[in-house]
Amino acid sequence: MSESKHIGLVLPNVPSYSETFFISKIKGLSDNGFIVTLFSRGKKTKHFKLCPVVYLPVFDIDKSLFWNILKALGLILANFGQAKKLFQLNRNDGFSLGEAFENVLINSTFLQYKLDWLHFGFGTMALQRENVAEAIGAKMAVSFRGFDWYVYPIKNKNCYCRLFSKDVKYHVLSDGMIKALVSKGVKKEVIVKITPAIHVDLFKNENFSIGLQQLNLLTVGRLHWIKGYDYLFQALALLKNQAVNFNYTIIGEGMENERLIFEAHQLGISNNVRFVGKVGHDVLHKYYKSNQIYIQYSIQEGFCNAVLEAQAAGMLCVVSDAEGLLENVEHNKTGWIVPKRNPEALAEKILDILALSTDEKIKISKAATERVKNNFTIENQINQFILFYQ
Amino acid sequence: MNRPEKIAVYCGELPPPTFIDRLIIGLANDGFKLVLFGTLKRKFNYAKPSIKVIGTAGKWSQIRQLILYTLLLQLKKPKQKRKLDDWIKQRKMAKYRARLKFYPVLYQQPDILHLQWVKSIGEWVWVKKFGIKLVVSLRGAHLNYTPICNPEFAEIYKQYFPLVSRFHAVSNAIKEEAIQYNLNPNRTNVIYSGLDLFKFEFQAKTLSTDCLQIISIGRSHWKKGYNYALDTMRILKEANIRFQYTIVGLNEEEELLFQRNELNLEQEVVFLNKLPFDTIKEMIRKADLFLLPSVEEGIANVVLEAMALGTLVVSTDCGGMKEVINDGLNGFIVPVRSPQKMADAIQSVQKLDKKKYFDMIDKARLQVEEHHTEERMIKGFRELYRSIYHERK
Repeated sequence: MSESKHIGLVLPNVPSYSETFFISKIKGLSDNGFIVTLFSRGKKTKHFKLCPVVYLPVFDIDKSLFWNILKALGLILANFGQAKKLFQLNRNDGFSLGEAFENVLINSTFLQYKLDWLHFGFGTMALQRENVAEAIGAKMAVSFRGFDWYVYPIKNKNCYCRLFSKDVKYHVLSDGMIKALVSKGVKKEVIVKITPAIHVDLFKNENFSIGLQQLNLLTVGRLHWIKGYDYLFQALALLKNQAVNFNYTIIGEGMENERLIFEAHQLGISNNVRFVGKVGHDVLHKYYKSNQIYIQYSIQEGFCNAVLEAQAAGMLCVVSDAEGLLENVEHNKTGWIVPKRNPEALAEKILDILALSTDEKIKISKAATERVKNNFTIENQINQFILFYQ
Repeated sequence: MNRPEKIAVYCGELPPPTFIDRLIIGLANDGFKLVLFGTLKRKFNYAKPSIKVIGTAGKWSQIRQLILYTLLLQLKKPKQKRKLDDWIKQRKMAKYRARLKFYPVLYQQPDILHLQWVKSIGEWVWVKKFGIKLVVSLRGAHLNYTPICNPEFAEIYKQYFPLVSRFHAVSNAIKEEAIQYNLNPNRTNVIYSGLDLFKFEFQAKTLSTDCLQIISIGRSHWKKGYNYALDTMRILKEANIRFQYTIVGLNEEEELLFQRNELNLEQEVVFLNKLPFDTIKEMIRKADLFLLPSVEEGIANVVLEAMALGTLVVSTDCGGMKEVINDGLNGFIVPVRSPQKMADAIQSVQKLDKKKYFDMIDKARLQVEEHHTEERMIKGFRELYRSIYHERK
């Protein structure tokens, strides 16, 4: 490579080490000679050492406001050319004088950076920053994830209109998302699908306990309505009513902890359900190895790394038909897809799997491991990103 | 003394919610002196001299209150102040926060401290050392799910419930539920929530003919079970029932907006923000059916209101709802978390002939008139407070 490319990655938070996607991307790019700078809106952290981090100021009405504005004004003066360009681009978009200036103020942190690419890690992160890349002479890339497309616009209709009018290269996780963007007039040529990836070897599992009689079920995911636990619990209650003996473990934490514990209690399955909370990656492997069926019954899902990990570990995966999951699992080949919000169908599927012969189970398990190994490795992902930025 | 005179009511946030507000005014009319404690969310006042409000709003008023009551206690009750300080120290509580909260109560020295929310019981047991009787209300969530979801509260309840002089339970169901946490049923009065029926006139009703009007009212919280209500609406739509479902009290709830969109219910389901009391009353009157899809309640006041106003109720079997609604007689009861059963019940309402509908709402109104009037509620509390003193004799 003649000169190393500089990528600015904009994220809501500094990724924690369990967020495989961004961590492996940053690491992979750095290893391949890219310079990565992370722009984060979130809290400062000292633990992140993979690349330099720039914290975007939050203009809240508190005692930091005065200094933040002062600092922003300083940055505007110091980078007057870029600021002026941003202002003009905003005006061309129909911003009023005040709005156009406010937007420059908010985005002043970016002005001093000379980047080849400004990559917004989420569609929502690009909102109100649609002109920043052009103003600083960088190319603009935006990743669209499930939340950006399926959830956020419900409250904020047409929020991506301005973004879609810009010269942007899009990164998505699934074919479903390509279709969604194309339906809104984005050209297919500027969309690149790069699926998430995992360190396949970490999850290798030689002595998979598929033949065990005790039914052990597992989900890894934060406790949030979007993960569809409501319907999953209803399905488990149906199993319990049919005297099926099972253990169900949830790994993850979140706001809806009380809601779910009470739900399990009221549905009479609290003795079968174990809330483990968050665990480190090293411990996580053990759970993949000691349970047989992995369930991801999400209402909405961009892709879901945990399902890849579970497949790599040879677990039998049952997932909902929520967007990205349709491409994560191949129905009847590497796992099973059940229509979402349908507890009866889910319960029935689990019973079907129980009734399979050991040979059939092993066949599915092997196919899942094989598919992940061939298609979802980190090396693969990094190579695709290197091409993406060329 | 055969009746207490001064009652301190600890609410958490002030002004108190309407059901506590009604109680306070009723008790003041009854000759009790009342002192309200809590955090002021906005300024308010009672026109009655017998009701005193002691609350703080913001840092400065907290500091002022802390200094004022520290001085007052130091001057007038130095021994008791020391005793309380020692207790706070022993319990390793955040010193100033605790003093800010406790000093005014100690200074006021009420005969009874009535805690509206049981979750804070551990903080208030010290009042027993100063001859103040502790009365605790069991109202819903704090008893029905807090100790299940946070087992440390189960332990706190078990430890401190025996110290309580008297419990107020909003339903028999919650009383039964609390026995596992060492509640003494003989020291518990079940007092149903009461309405001022003058404000809830029963009027002649016209039912919609072609499109069933369904309404729910309540803030957005998972315990209200609106997600199940939307699943129910999907079933109704698939069964080709024509209906309009309105939920009042929601504020742009992402989960429900998403669900409504995904289930294709945007024509049939309307979410509205909080509305004034009179508007809500009119909306309940106009609806054919009031739906309570909750997974947890004490006894839902809105259901009492709907029954008083003459709108038929379909309610889940949660908390004490069965004590108000007799299934098939004055309303319908369905299991919690069961969209199919809820849809079935709504369809049975739709199939009711007019005579049966009117017969049921008559019975519902009667139920409220007999068991849920404000007078009855005030009388219940008067008896509760007095019984503490009779016991002692």
